[in-house]
Amino acid sequence: MTATAPAPVKAKRRPPAILWLTTPSLAWYAFFTIGPLLGMFAIATLSWKGLIYPATFTGLDNFARVLTDPTFHDALRNSIVQVLIVIPIMMPLAFMLGYYLNTKPRGYRVLSVLFFTPGLISISIKGTMFYGVLSPNGGFNGLLEGIGLGGITTAWLANPATALGSIMAIDLWSGIGFTAVLFASRLSSVDTEVLEAADLDGAGTFRKMWRITYPIIKDYFGTLTMLQFLWTLFTSAALILILTKGGPGTSTTTLSFLVYQKAFSQQDLGYSQAVGVLLLLLGIIGMVLIRRILRSQA
Amino acid sequence: MTQILRTARPSRTSARSRRISGNRMGPLSTVLAWFYALLLAIPLYYLVTSALKTNIEIFTDPFALPTQWLWENFGEAWQSGSLGAGLANSVLISAVAVVLTLVLAIPAAYALARSEGKVAQAITSSFVAGFLIPPFAALIPTVVLAINLNLFYTREFQMLFLPASALPLSILLLTQFMKTIPHEIVESASMDGAGHFSILLRIFVPISLPGIVSVTILQVLGFWNEYLFSLTITGTGADVRTIQVALPTLISDSTNYGVLAAGTVIALVPVYIAYAALQRRMQDALTAGALKG
Repeated sequence: MTATAPAPVKAKRRPPAILWLTTPSLAWYAFFTIGPLLGMFAIATLSWKGLIYPATFTGLDNFARVLTDPTFHDALRNSIVQVLIVIPIMMPLAFMLGYYLNTKPRGYRVLSVLFFTPGLISISIKGTMFYGVLSPNGGFNGLLEGIGLGGITTAWLANPATALGSIMAIDLWSGIGFTAVLFASRLSSVDTEVLEAADLDGAGTFRKMWRITYPIIKDYFGTLTMLQFLWTLFTSAALILILTKGGPGTSTTTLSFLVYQKAFSQQDLGYSQAVGVLLLLLGIIGMVLIRRILRSQA
Repeated sequence: MTQILRTARPSRTSARSRRISGNRMGPLSTVLAWFYALLLAIPLYYLVTSALKTNIEIFTDPFALPTQWLWENFGEAWQSGSLGAGLANSVLISAVAVVLTLVLAIPAAYALARSEGKVAQAITSSFVAGFLIPPFAALIPTVVLAINLNLFYTREFQMLFLPASALPLSILLLTQFMKTIPHEIVESASMDGAGHFSILLRIFVPISLPGIVSVTILQVLGFWNEYLFSLTITGTGADVRTIQVALPTLISDSTNYGVLAAGTVIALVPVYIAYAALQRRMQDALTAGALKG
């Protein structure tokens, strides 16, 4: 139902002039999506103490302020750590799990419902759920004590050494399964004959997974990698807002959270939007890099 | 374990070799897959059982079944989080937003499916570019827009704004569907004197109904689960906030974890009911959503 749709038979006559039917949606899109995006660039050049105050134009001052601010450096480092750890773990595991799921093992229906669950639940549900699980008296510490590891219990979200790790663990917890289901559904349309031929040649599972199946769905792998990269980079703010508010200290302040924090708690809109512009830039750079890396390996 | 190699449409010919090579990896991957499933299931189990316990019982026996089933936790969560109002607001916002999305997207998809040439191409590309825009990056300018429209802290702005964020994906998915409709049907209908609107309503909408249903599910789920924009634009006022915004307010200095868990369960139930009813469709919808990107 996606890229396979055949193009319509070329009509000899001129195409009907019905493109005006796209104008309402284009207008809507321009007004509510493109407009605010341009607004972000504009606000990044303003000194603006909050929505009720007047703003003054300061050019690139905000960027100079942002780039020399230690908090920004921490946020940049946290975001890079988050992306560099979460994505390389998530994607291969999700692919292998999707491959496994696509073989329709016993109980795969139960498995796929469970794997799919994180895709259904909202960030605020995830947040409140893990607030309970990771609290000092919560389920995770209880579990550790139950299996004799009481010595390593801690306040996971309040300890600077574990807070960012906890956020990343939640990313992985929810991302792997959901991505695996997406892979499984893509894999179900891969021609099985190739794999059967590989079987006859005595190829092992790993070989079939990575040498034969992976190249076939490489584009899809790339698309999902880029999507997960963008989700991780851009949407971590919401979970962090519910669970740690960027702390303790700046240990969980990521770039997207910094955008939010500067705008809504610290009333520094120009700074916030300058970070937003840099974040957008980072997103684009990341996508180009991911594409390069995935292309160069074949 | 032979299953590791069994594909969607297994053929009988190489069953033997499949079994042989499958044995090496099979048990391990099965164990790992179920271990991960357990990791997903445990927090859910913990959540549901905690919803029926007191704080003390949650702390001392985190994984035991409740000794006394505290159903009043649900009542308290419902009350103190005013979750009823939250659910009603979520239903209202999602419903209006999805209707508006379809009203805007269906004619656009129809026009794009039936047009070729540079202009149509340019319009399609501009919607494709929409995927690359992180909605979150423009959160603050969107707040400014809401203030200037005098719609800050209202549900109405969300109803108008959410469709815009959903348009690129909706239009591209629907265009794909509508492009599969054979030209001959359209030709003969227009010979019979049918105008654009009747071709759209009598031919394109019915034939692409599966696509429309997928887009509807996908976007309703997205609208329903939206958090950050709802929090900042619709706000936290008990009369306007959505269930997603209401839920984290149950976290406080003296958190009653049982009540918090009960509230979370209440927020989960509608999505699970929808999922149980539409399992196949829902998976298809979300898969299609991620395919484009």
